[in-house]
Amino acid sequence: MRIARFVARRLLQLVPVLLGVVVATFVLVRVLPGDPIRTILGPNATEAEAAAARARFGLDQPLWKQFLDYLGGLLTGDLGTSIQSGNAVAGELALRVGPTLQLVVLAVAVAVLIAVVGGIWSARRADRAADHGIRVLALIGNSVPEFWLGLVLVLVGYSMLGWFPAPSGRVDPDTNLTPITGAELIDAALTANGPAFTSALAHLALPVATLAIVVVAPLLRSVRASALEVLHSEAYTAAAAHGLRDRLLRRGYLVRSALVRLPSLAALVFGTAIGSTVLIEYVYSWQGFGQWALRGLLYRDFPVVQASVLLIAVCYVLVFLIADVVHAILDPRVKI
Amino acid sequence: MAGTSPRGGSAPPALSRRSVLQLGGIGAFLFATGACASGSGTDGSDDASPGASADTLRIAVSSYLSSWDQDFVGFDPVALMLYKNVFPYMIDYGVTEVDGSRILDTENVMATFAESFEPNADQTVWTLKLRQGVTFASGNEMTAADVKWSKDRAFAAQANVAGIYRTIGLTEPDQVTVVDDYTVQFTQAFPSALTRQIQAISLYVFDSEEAKKHATDADPWAAEWFANNAPTGGYFNVERAVQGQEIVLAANEQYPGPDPAQTKTIRISVVPAAANQRLQLEAGDIDVALGIGQRDIADLKNTDGVKVISAASNEQVAIQMSVTTAPFDNVDVRKALAHAVPYDQIINNVYGGDARPTKSLVPLDMPGYDERGYPYGYDPDAARAALAAAGVDQISSELVYATDNDTQQQIAVLVQSEARKVGIELELVPLDPATLAERRQQKNIPLQITAGQLWVNDVEYMLATSFVEGANLNYSNYVNPELEEIYERSHTVVDPAERNELWLRVQEILAADVPWVILCQPNFNLPVREAVSGWVQPMDGLARLRYLSASA
Repeated sequence: MRIARFVARRLLQLVPVLLGVVVATFVLVRVLPGDPIRTILGPNATEAEAAAARARFGLDQPLWKQFLDYLGGLLTGDLGTSIQSGNAVAGELALRVGPTLQLVVLAVAVAVLIAVVGGIWSARRADRAADHGIRVLALIGNSVPEFWLGLVLVLVGYSMLGWFPAPSGRVDPDTNLTPITGAELIDAALTANGPAFTSALAHLALPVATLAIVVVAPLLRSVRASALEVLHSEAYTAAAAHGLRDRLLRRGYLVRSALVRLPSLAALVFGTAIGSTVLIEYVYSWQGFGQWALRGLLYRDFPVVQASVLLIAVCYVLVFLIADVVHAILDPRVKI
Repeated sequence: MAGTSPRGGSAPPALSRRSVLQLGGIGAFLFATGACASGSGTDGSDDASPGASADTLRIAVSSYLSSWDQDFVGFDPVALMLYKNVFPYMIDYGVTEVDGSRILDTENVMATFAESFEPNADQTVWTLKLRQGVTFASGNEMTAADVKWSKDRAFAAQANVAGIYRTIGLTEPDQVTVVDDYTVQFTQAFPSALTRQIQAISLYVFDSEEAKKHATDADPWAAEWFANNAPTGGYFNVERAVQGQEIVLAANEQYPGPDPAQTKTIRISVVPAAANQRLQLEAGDIDVALGIGQRDIADLKNTDGVKVISAASNEQVAIQMSVTTAPFDNVDVRKALAHAVPYDQIINNVYGGDARPTKSLVPLDMPGYDERGYPYGYDPDAARAALAAAGVDQISSELVYATDNDTQQQIAVLVQSEARKVGIELELVPLDPATLAERRQQKNIPLQITAGQLWVNDVEYMLATSFVEGANLNYSNYVNPELEEIYERSHTVVDPAERNELWLRVQEILAADVPWVILCQPNFNLPVREAVSGWVQPMDGLARLRYLSASA
């Protein structure tokens, strides 16, 4: 009940935050140089035709009117019409957000798992060769550009070894997967389409590995540092001196305490991962949210940019909310 | 080091429950990985390299199309290429052979889905006669009403077709009339030698009966429906479209005209990264790579199982100078830059020698091309002399190019380096698409690299788009009164010899005023698997997939 009240309070606090994001995005995207209308008209279009196109997208209205229309649309779930494609932005967003979230959530989950297991394992072997090895690997993972890493994994995993499918899409189209959520793994599970599930898993392997390698380093270092702190703490030393069993020591004293910082950091990493998908989606022909948002920005497709920034903001605040709740569960000292 | 070593009350057994679980987990992971690899059989390289089958061609493109609605789409080369193959176009170019390459013949526009398209005596009224019994995928017959509805829609859209129709004197829906079920007339405000080529671009037809089912009061032209649903009735029908990933085209067996599709099925997959297209072509997972850059193409020339089709192209690469912006408002400064540019170096270093030098702003292979049109070559002394004639010894300017274009960047660096030697200091400015479009519209870029091809192979069209007052591609702000007169006259001149006389004078004027530095015409290179044949080079840049065959 206490947590439910906390969540409700935090969700209410989101309203002004998101309103700020809406206003800032609306203004900033229009301050940027660049004319979205001219990017969609043919070379022979006259000023009259450009004016007609502006009217079609409501860009001939005063700025305050455009903003009120946008705000009104938001309240009814209408995110506007893409200037580039002429499609409803909400529909385009729904098609692309599933694949990207699937990629990011899986990658962050894999990264968290590796960080927890590797970080604690490494801390328990501090300053030994295995520990140094883990730290060097983390450093390398943190240093390589995701674009380069992706290409290398494609070269090795697909081209040289032939273990993974060609980097052209998210599932083999011949499996006739019926899209429901846009996240192929979930859709395949929901429709009990075994071949599609296996194919989606195969297509996910390399991009998830790339993203997980890129984001795992800070998580791993954080868990290792926390675990070392716990291992050096008086409480842990006392518990160990009392002859508690190893499993109890690890689960009751080490793991829980070492993970206290992890939720907040994982939330931050989640944001980084969403940013990294722009390049990873390009390398793996993923056609998800990242490429869509980038194209929207490059062509000043106002409704697309507004919707994508708003979605990222919503993701951020929700992920931090979840992180705070998990933090509170892990650390009884935290009052919510 | 208290606390850093594991300790417990009792030693674990040799094979604990945990160990069994761990081993099981590892086994499951390995099984899953194996399953993934084997499950990807249709994609993986083990059994995915069978080469092209006679019935299916696999083509990689760089992006998924932004919309299926041709009237409202933005500039999207993949979409426009697909439209050319899935919309029924009433007329299209024929095919001719030049230097061993098969290319679209812009001087021979022929009826395809239509039976005929012919003018009256004074060439102001053009009559389109449709074939009978041609159907869309819905089963609806293609009739004059579909043509009329489609052209009304184009005028209402006030975008792509409406803009281009103006050049042949078609500005109102009333100029398109239905004579009977299979006859439509287009009444132009004036006769034009461009009519056939303009209509080859514009005469695509929607299934209006189907469209009307999806129209609403708020959306009378069913724009929302067409944005998401592929048109039918072209050389190919869209059998399946998986958003962002793949489009499967099936040959339209009902097509009644010449040159039907040679391949039953074409699978178009979206592979944005050129490096991945190259890998998949090498592995045999795709047969045609439509998005590979010059550098990868050069490497692929020596790859087993792959061949590079090379064809003469009408793409022009140029540097446009703003004749109304200092320092390029001085013709001697423009001549100085024209002499400072390393033409051969660009052709050799940027294009690997795979480009044609050109001596006119009129493209090579265009009727009327004359070598006197651009009397400039790399000559630093002449460049310094021209600067001196302009009364300056040092000038500076920005040189703008598209931010995502590696080729333009390489050209910019070479030009910057050579221009500096004669006293022209250039600041390289890459711009994103929207900013570039806005600045081009405002015509405030002093110097910019441009690349493109004219969709209509005619000097009148070239003038209309690039060299007369108000022309949208006239980023140079170039206006010459005599050229304006020639352009006006050309609208109603239909005799080829008379037109060529006009074009010669056009090139003399452009040679004197030098609003552009014309760099070269790069050849079109297409890497394909060895079994692929039949490529016809499109002079409008939009591949006609019907000619492609999966067998050599």
